Amino acid sequence: MKTEEVKKLMIRSLDAEVSPHEIADQLENAGVSYDFSEGFGDKVIRKIFSVSLSVNHEVEFVRSMNYVFNRIALTGIAAIVILMISIFLMEGSFSLNSILGLGNSYDESIICMLTGK
Amino acid sequence: MESYKQTDDNELIKASINGDKLAFGEIVDRYRKLVARIVKGMLGDSVFSEDIGQEVFIKLYYSLPDFRGEAKLSTYIQKIAVNLTLNEIKRRKRFFSMFSQKGNSEMYEFEVADVDNQEKREATETVNRALMSLEPKFRIIVSMRMLQGYSTKETAEILGLPLGTILSRLSRAREQLKNVIEKL
Repeated sequence: MKTEEVKKLMIRSLDAEVSPHEIADQLENAGVSYDFSEGFGDKVIRKIFSVSLSVNHEVEFVRSMNYVFNRIALTGIAAIVILMISIFLMEGSFSLNSILGLGNSYDESIICMLTGK
Repeated sequence: MESYKQTDDNELIKASINGDKLAFGEIVDRYRKLVARIVKGMLGDSVFSEDIGQEVFIKLYYSLPDFRGEAKLSTYIQKIAVNLTLNEIKRRKRFFSMFSQKGNSEMYEFEVADVDNQEKREATETVNRALMSLEPKFRIIVSMRMLQGYSTKETAEILGLPLGTILSRLSRAREQLKNVIEKL
């Protein structure tokens, strides 16, 4: 199709009574077509999935950290409970001294223990 | 290897959401020409248009979980393409108004790549030049009608504008296009 005919088609395409589909088809037949270069799809897929991969690594890391934290936290709570029970059994109360491991010793006896006098 | 050539859009969407590369690759293959017509019809034929085209599909991929299927996938893709292209036009306008004295002409590129036949090449170039000479708000409407065959109602739906606005822009675009074509 010659350039002049393409120009006429372009103007006709905006007429209200003309079917736009028809003009679009005619222009496409005249060689007016648009597409992206070869390998376009591969580039898109590569961009999306390489980003997804790094995001997945991050998610995996956070998940592992959560798992480790849960294990440590549970073990810690269990240790604290056992310690409290043992303190209660040994000292018979939860006073500050018993928690600090000072028992019922007097201040003077502590000074003696520390100074050796 | 699984082929998705016969699979409908809804199945492709589900598979793509689950991370199926082949399924999303099929969506890209199915709609790349549609996106190319919008992006290249509005920005001209250049590497920048390729970048915007890629951005359209990347954005589509990440917004697929939000796609409710109320509209056709093609309409959804077109909306993304139109929005990204209009944003690019605004960005270029800002850039060229800051750094250049030459005005709109250098904002768009006219090279027509990969067209073997001289006549076809000229036809595409004529359409490109005419489109690029129009104001962006007219260009999108003309390009959707002329290159994609959309009716005024469909154009209004995709652009999210009232039908009356599309009709008035179309009539003004027609005048502008006539003037532009006479000068080509």
